This record gives sequence, structure tokens and C-alpha cells, in this order.
Amino acid sequence: MLPASVTVTLFFVIPVMMTFVFSFTTMSSDTGILGNRYIVTKATILDLTEHGIDAALVRQLGHKVFRFNDAGLAKIREIGLDSSLVKEIEEKLSGDEFASEKALFAALKQLINRPRSFKHRKAISKSVVNTITNQEFRTAAAFRAGLVANGIKVDDATFGQLLDLTNTSWRWTTDNYVELLASDFTFKILANTAFYVFFTLLFNVGFALVLALATFYMPSGQSKFFRAVWLIPRISPSVIYVMLWKWFTFDSGFMSYFLGSLGVEPENWLNEFPWTFVIIVNGFVGASMGMIIFASAVLAIPADVLRAAEVDGAYPMQQVRRIILPLMAWPILFITSYQTLSLLTSFEYILLLTDGGPGFFTTETWALNAYHTALSNYFGNLRYGFGATLAVVLVFFGVALSLLYLRLFDFKKLVAEPLIEN
Amino acid sequence: MDDRKTNWPLTLFLLIVSAPILIMYVWLFIDSVSEINIESIWPEKFTLRNWRFLTEEIPGHGSVWTATLNTTIFATSVVAIVVVLSSTAGYALSRLKFPFRAPFLGIVLLLHSFPSVTLIISIFLMLRMIGLYDTLVGVILVKAALELPFGIWIMKGFYDTVPWEIEMAGLQDGASRFQVWYKLVLPQIMPGVAALAIFSFMAGWSEFVLPLILAPSSDTRLLSVYLAGLIIDDYLSDFGLFKAVGLFYVVPVMIFYLFTQDKLMNIYGGGTKG
Amino acid sequence: MISLSNKIFLVAPEALTALASRLGHFRTKNVAVKQLTLALLGAILFALPTAQAVQAKDMEIVVWAPADQNERYRFEAVALAANVLNEELKIENRDINVIVSSRSFTGAQTWQQLKQGFSLAVEAGQGPHIIVGGHEDIPVWGSAGLILPIEDSVDLEAWPFSDVFTSLWPIMSWNGQIWGVPQDAESRPFFGWNPHLKAIGYSDADIAALPAKIKRGQYTLQNVLEDAKKIQDKGLVEKGYGFYPRATKGGDYWQFYAVQKGGDMIDAKSGKLILDKGALLGYYQFFHDAVFKYEVTKKNHLGMEWDQWYNEVANGKAGLWHGGTWHYARYTRREGLKDFFDKVTFSLIPSGGPGGKATTLTHPLTYLISRQTKGEELEIAGRLITIVSEPRLNTLHAIASAHLGISTAQTKVSQYSDDRWTAEATELLKSAFALPNSINFGKYDTLVWKGLTAAWSGDLSPEQAVDTVVKEMKATMGDQVIIR
Repeated sequence: MLPASVTVTLFFVIPVMMTFVFSFTTMSSDTGILGNRYIVTKATILDLTEHGIDAALVRQLGHKVFRFNDAGLAKIREIGLDSSLVKEIEEKLSGDEFASEKALFAALKQLINRPRSFKHRKAISKSVVNTITNQEFRTAAAFRAGLVANGIKVDDATFGQLLDLTNTSWRWTTDNYVELLASDFTFKILANTAFYVFFTLLFNVGFALVLALATFYMPSGQSKFFRAVWLIPRISPSVIYVMLWKWFTFDSGFMSYFLGSLGVEPENWLNEFPWTFVIIVNGFVGASMGMIIFASAVLAIPADVLRAAEVDGAYPMQQVRRIILPLMAWPILFITSYQTLSLLTSFEYILLLTDGGPGFFTTETWALNAYHTALSNYFGNLRYGFGATLAVVLVFFGVALSLLYLRLFDFKKLVAEPLIEN
Repeated sequence: MDDRKTNWPLTLFLLIVSAPILIMYVWLFIDSVSEINIESIWPEKFTLRNWRFLTEEIPGHGSVWTATLNTTIFATSVVAIVVVLSSTAGYALSRLKFPFRAPFLGIVLLLHSFPSVTLIISIFLMLRMIGLYDTLVGVILVKAALELPFGIWIMKGFYDTVPWEIEMAGLQDGASRFQVWYKLVLPQIMPGVAALAIFSFMAGWSEFVLPLILAPSSDTRLLSVYLAGLIIDDYLSDFGLFKAVGLFYVVPVMIFYLFTQDKLMNIYGGGTKG
Repeated sequence: MISLSNKIFLVAPEALTALASRLGHFRTKNVAVKQLTLALLGAILFALPTAQAVQAKDMEIVVWAPADQNERYRFEAVALAANVLNEELKIENRDINVIVSSRSFTGAQTWQQLKQGFSLAVEAGQGPHIIVGGHEDIPVWGSAGLILPIEDSVDLEAWPFSDVFTSLWPIMSWNGQIWGVPQDAESRPFFGWNPHLKAIGYSDADIAALPAKIKRGQYTLQNVLEDAKKIQDKGLVEKGYGFYPRATKGGDYWQFYAVQKGGDMIDAKSGKLILDKGALLGYYQFFHDAVFKYEVTKKNHLGMEWDQWYNEVANGKAGLWHGGTWHYARYTRREGLKDFFDKVTFSLIPSGGPGGKATTLTHPLTYLISRQTKGEELEIAGRLITIVSEPRLNTLHAIASAHLGISTAQTKVSQYSDDRWTAEATELLKSAFALPNSINFGKYDTLVWKGLTAAWSGDLSPEQAVDTVVKEMKATMGDQVIIR
């Protein structure tokens, strides 16, 4: 019990809670995940001006100068340059200032003992540069110290503003939820999801029942065979299973070939009827689980009950309706609710099959959209925060549906008191 | 049930609805041992060339056996953890009374409604905190944790069907709780263990993303990655090869299933029938 | 001494160690083994004071790259460069032995895994020293502080960088700094199937003159639709195959925005993205017309299978289409197109009409240095990247993968200049544009793409699609985008 709780807590419960927290952040690839990072760059300089920071201060922040003062020269001595070069620098450049690295390098080139390697030129440049731009600071204190070292004085209020504007890390926000509500696409995806879950569920549970009952009335060899066949999709790696469906439905695949012999033009049937196949492909996978549970449930019905019915002259259909189905209410409800939640969050097969296409969000479901946002943005700036928001909303729907199902079948019975008391 | 007669309309109906699966997998086999003509679905002639990846390396793709070994290690570790943890936790939930039992069950069920991909960042932070980031152990634990809620509920369901008289008898004979569980109860729920094992084996066997993202510097090539690499290789135009590798990838699970089939089908009745 | 990613360990003792290291911390383990070896070695040297040789210390440089089998030189060339560098270091009497270990990402979700894996690894204080990324990763990783500006580690004024096509440097820049050096280049040409063009009245001379005509803007997207229609009406291709665009979402579609009048994407001064409503409308209208007015493109074309797509265009089942320079490898190898230059004409993407210009997209990959690289490693990584950018080394990748080279001198390397495809396709690079480097590009791109799919499927008219995109962009991106 304990190891299970610890594992689930560490890698599932806590991450879920953290995801709730993340849904209120702007976290994405470009903000990073950990910690603050203060840096003044070309873009921040523009940003600072737009936010009304004092122009003189902005100029200071953007200022970059290469200065051969005592501190700079001291650093140069530690690089390990030729002593002739160090001497020449001390003689000729002491006290000089350069506005750009290019100008500095040009000046170095004029020296008799000029540094030939880029490594040394760069080291000299690094020794004498005075600037705050493109310097990274991980804490506010370090940033403050950096400003002081560059002779930039700011009051506390302005410093607060600077901290905010130069920080590349993520911030708290409720914009994710606002964006979701404002977007025209939210409803479309929601409708898709409802459509997908409802029809796949119908297919799943329907076929599971049919299979369970049909195989019950079959010789055992046949029933074993069909159960095995319907389990294959479930036990095949998704990549293979979907690859086979694509082979089955594409222009020169089996369906086109078969229908071609009936005079139908070859088509990419998957593209023609995306939803049909999304539902069938997921349905075949899902049906097996229901089938196993239902089949076992039928087997669990005491044989006497069925025999009594047979003696009464009941046909199989009547048996099914009058005796079997009522006894199976509980497993049916369990499978229905469990599968609803599974389908809400599943996207793997749709991802591999249509990737939400073809065309305008045709088969994009909520979970797939969360995946696209949080993990697979085409140009790589992954929106973790927004993805988390999508997940949270999905959980909200999951909880709502669960509560609905709980009204239908008693959760209390599911978590009923344990059998043995200590 | 052997007294059942074949009901032809029923059998025919099932054959028709099962046709896509049958056709797809039969052709998977046929194409893997024949030369394929892309214009037609019928094979041209028998060949074993598609299976050459078993004995030689496809240039640039490494050995299939390395990938198989890695995948086996990964999948069996996941199975071991999931089965051990869920069968003990399921037992506790079914039999013992302890604080927060009902909330725990509720939470576990609700976790199921959380899309696990969106958890990657948080899982990363957790792994980093306990120092398991970039280790295979960490990835295996994460994969197992994601499978556990399902496992716990399934196992609890099985324990619930085992009459507690069995345990009472055992306890009265002076056996310890653990002995009772191990010797008397566990054998009763073997179908459940089999079902859980096959499902978690499947989950581990087809895993693709987690090792790459959470253990990036370990050199773990899984079969899923091996196959994906082959499919995208421009030097190869060998659908027969893809299908053969695909079949190679499916077969172990099918064999596993054949061995556990009888147990699997006994799931619900389970318990006393054994 | 070069270890590559695809290690095989089937021999029993090796398998055991590999297994052990697999289950533990791979790197730590290696370091421990190395330290042990070094200690032993030290002991031996101490015991033999007469020994002269200085044992060079190993330095492992880790490279990650997205690479399919034919793109393996993205990382293998770095290992080759290490051979040269090790000799150089020997001559300089530096006791460093560079070992490159690499990890390639491949398969359908290559980029996603590479990007996600890299972000997390570097945040955790691990990850590679050198990574091959897309140029669009520069702003994202730069902003997150995951990479270091390369201009601080290599001399971009010196060989071989001094010879790199100057048009590539802006693509490597962001926020006032140069962050990476180009790993390759490519362009995304417009293609036509010659036999079909002849069948609708083009002479051989007409076909030969077509690329130049397109470049001058005398053959526009309007002509594309008309010719596609003719090809289709003649029954040369099936309905919906007259104009056969890229099968899935991709940066390529931005070309149809960029060829329009005013089709700019970024304001150089402020670094802000631009959305030009007129250009956007022209872009949407073109695809809407292709589907509904001319019926030369399928309504459900997007999201189709790449395997099928390649097979069809390489076998004359499509009239006109657009693709990438690397498609050449696929057409001629896997799809078996033997006489490519007889059958296929390629050019820039035709202009969208008056005020527009023919162009093509280039999407160079880039060698980047991660923030994990410090001190001496930084110098070595920089030198590796410098050597790997040498014309001859870079050409290996260009030819093997049918990508384009990065420098002028490279076009004179015989392996490159003897290859008709790379030699001719390099010409297109001169008129190429690239997607803007901006952290907001992903959001911006997603919205514009949604508008396209809506206009394409007919869910919205092109005008409505533009309005929807503009409204959505204003709502979610505010002043990050200049809408004009």
C-alpha cells in the first residue's frame, strides 16, 4: 500500500497539482521553468523605453564601452598573453576607450605584437568591457551589484520596474483562461470532443456487449477465436495498428481494391470519412476491454439461473433481455464511466491517424489540442502554461461527468467498507 | 459451454465485423514474407529478405536485438512494479480499513481523467528533485506510476470478488495476514494479475516518448524508435521490411497473450471458480 | 577514439556493463570508470619515472542532432572534425584528446523530442555541448538562456565563416547577437511535371524559360491555377491533382504570403511581427480559389500521407506542386524517379501578382552551443564547429541529404559542383527568405495556419478567415504584432 501511494503521489498526484498551479503562469519554452533570470538586451532596451523608463537611465543600461583603465589592464595581465604584447598595450592603449568591439579589434590589429588568435582578442575584449547589456543575473541582488559595478544608480521603485521588465522567467497570470474563453476555436474543439467521446463510447460498449454475449452462445473454440481477434488491436503497439489502418484505407489499399472490384473509384477513405475511421479505430481498441469484463460477468451468472430459464422455454434473446442484461448493469456502468474518462484524455490514436486533420480542426479533440499546445508546437515554443490550462479544463469536465455517473451508480458501493476488520 | 452449437448467422455476423482486423493482420503476415507490388494488394512471390534485419544490421539503424533487449528490460520492469504495487495496494483497499481510504480511491479514479502528456514538466521537476532525472530507473518509475491507478482499481475489483471466508479460515488456522494473502488470496486472483500484466507490458512495450525526454543522455534505443527510424529513412523503400519489423514488434505480445488467454477470460467470475 | 551513438553491445561482458550503466547514471558511471583508469595510469607512470609520454586528457563533447539516416553527417561530421582537431591539438602540444559522442533524434516526432529533451536537459544542468537546432529555436532558447551567442566563441570574420553566404547571417541572429552558424541550407521550390506542361502546349524552350519568367514575376500564382486547370481538364491528372501542395502543415505555406504584395513578417527595427491583411487575403484567396473556383486542389488535401504524396508527385500523378530541395533525394532514391531533369522543372514560388515577388523559403539548421559548455570545453566546441563548417566537410551532408551548402567556396568543391541538383538549386538560395526569429512566432504561425485551413475547407470565406485571424491575434497577442 505504502509504496504504491508514494509512487502515485510522487509521479502522479503532485504533478497533477503542480499542473493546476502552472495553468496560472505564462510558462513556455522561452521563459524556461526554473528560477529568475535578469538580463538587459536590445529588445529589453526598446521595451524599457515603451514602459516610460527615464531615457537617461535607458541610455546608461544600453551603454557599452571598452575601457583600458587600471582594472581592465589588471585583468589583461592575467590572461597569459606574451609579455611584449602586455607591455605594448600598457604603453599604447592605457586610458583609451572604444565604443565597439570592432573598433577595439581594429586598434589591436595596429599593434606590433598584435594578438593573432581570436581567443586572445576575445579575452582582451572581455577584460576591458564595461556594460550591463547581455549580462545574465540569476538573483535580484546580483543584478543590483551589477548595476552598481557599472556605475548605474537607480531608486528602489525603478529597480522594481527593471526587475520586472528584464526578467525572462515566467509570470503569474489568468490570461490563459481568458484566452481560452475568448477563442473561437474552443467551442469547435469542445464539440469535436463530445462527438468523439459519445460515438466511440457507443461503438465500444455496444460491440463489447454484442461480442461478450455472442461468444457466450458459441462453441468454445469459436468464442476463443473471436475474443482473441478483438484483443489484437488492444495488444498491438499503436504505431503498427494505425499503420495497418492506413494501409487498409489509403488509395491503393485494401478498401479501395475491394470496392474497386465493385466498380467504386479508389479514394483515400480515411481522408474522405475521417470521423468514421477515428471512431472505428478507437472503438476496436476500446471494445476489447469491455468485452473481457462483460464476458466474465456473463460467465459469473450461476448456470442454474440460465438453465431454469431454458426449461421455461426462453429463447436466447429473451434470456439476454430478461436475465443477463439486468445482472450486468453494474459492469456496464463501470465500463461506460471508465471509458468515458479514458476517451476524454486519449489522443494517441487520433494523433497517429489524422493528427486532428484533415483540414480545419476536423478531428482535433481537447486532449490532442492540449498535446499540440504543450508538447508539439510546430515551431518549438511550447506553451506549458496554456497546455496546463487545457488539462485543467479537461479534468473539470472529467469530474463533472464522474459526478453524473456517480449519481447513476453508487460510488459508496464501490468504496464500500472493507471486508475484514482489524 | 461445449454443448453450444454453431449458430451460423451469428458466426457470420461476427466474421464480417471482425473482417478489418483479420484482413489487416493476415496481410501484415503475408506482406512480411513476400515481395510487394505497390500497385496491387496481392503479393508477387515468397521471400525471406524482409526479415534480414534479424541477422544483419540495416545500415544506420543499429541492431534490432539491442533494441529488443532494451525494450524487454523496460517493459518487464514496468510490469514488475505495476503488478507488485497494485496487487498489494488493491488488497489493502479491499480488505483493510485505514484513514482516507475512500478519498484515496476517489483520487485514483480522478487521476484517470488527467491527460498524462501535460504532466511532463511537473514530472521532470519531481524527478530532478529526487535525483532520478536522466536515469532509466526514473523513467520506469514514472511509466509505472502512470499505469498504477488503472492497476489499483482493477486489482481492488478482483479482491472484492474473493469471499472473505477463505481468509477468515486461514487466519483462524493461525496464519499471518501476509501468508493468507500470499497463499490463499493471490492464487484466486491470478486472472487479474495476468490481465494487468499484459496491459502494463503493452504500455511499456510501445512506449516512445518518455525515455527520450526524461533520460536523454542514456543511450536507450527502444523498438518503437527503431521502427520509426526505419519508416522515415529515405534510403529504404521497403514496405516489406517495415511490415516484417512491425510483425516482429507485435509477436512477443501475442505470444504472451496466448499463454495467459485462459486466465484472462476468467476475469470477472474469477474468485471461487479459479 | 570516437564513439557514436549507435553502440552495439551483444557480447556478454560488455552487455553486462552496458546493462549496469543503463540502469544507473550513464555519465557519472563513465566518469567514475575514467577516473579509475586515470588513477591506474597515473600509478603506472609514477612507478616508471622514465616514461616520457604525456597522457592526453579526454574531453567529451556531446552533440545532439535531428537526423535521419541520410542526414547523419549532421553529427558524424563533427566526429570527423574532431579527428582534425585532435591532430591540431597535438601539434599545439595541448594535452587534450577530444571525444565526440552524439545522439541523433529520428522518426515522426523528431523535432518535438529534440526540443523538449534539450530544454529540460539544460534546465537540469545537463544536456549536450553542441546542438543542431532550427534557426527558429534561437529566440526561444536564447530567451530562456539555454544557449550562448556563438559570436563570443568563434571568429565569424575568419575562415570559413567569412565565406558563408551573407544572406544566412541575419537568419542566425536574434536580439542583436549572432547565436549560431548555419549547418545547412535549403530552399523550397515550385515544381512542374514537364510531360503535362508539354501536353497543354508548352514547347521545350517554353519550359526551359519558365524558371526565369517566374523569377521576373511574369508567371504568377494566377497562371499556376490556370495551367493546373488545363492539365486537369485534359485528363492528364485526376481532379484535385492539378496543383498539389505540401501534404501537411509546414513553414512552406508562408511562401504564399511572402510572394504577395506587402508580405513582410517582421519589423527589423522593433523586432515585432507584422501581419499584412492584404497579403494574408491574397494567400488565403489563392488556396480558396484552387479548391473551389478552379477545383485543382482537394478540399481534404491537408493531412494526407507523405508516403502517398511522394509517390504520386514522383510518378507524374500531379501537375504542379511545391516541395523542398531535399525532396530530390526522396524522388530519385526511394521513389525511383530516374530522369528527374527531363521530367521535372523547378523554380522559385511564383509571385502573387502585381507588387509581389517570386521567392522561396529557406530553413537553415544551425550549430548552437549550450550554456553547459564552459571554459576549455567552450573553446573546443567552438573549434569543432569551425572545422565542421569547412566546405568539404559540410558538403558531405549537402550531397548525402540533398540539402544546400552554406558557403561560396563550397560551390566549388567538386563533389558539390558535380552534383547537378545541388549546383542548380543553390541558385534559388539567392532569392530566398526565412521565417522570422521571434519568440512569438509559434503563436502567430498557429493562428495564421488556422485561418488557412478554414479558408481551404470552405468553413470560412477568405475575407472571414482574415477577420477571424486578425481578431484572434489582437485578442491574444496584443501589441506584440503590428497589424496593417
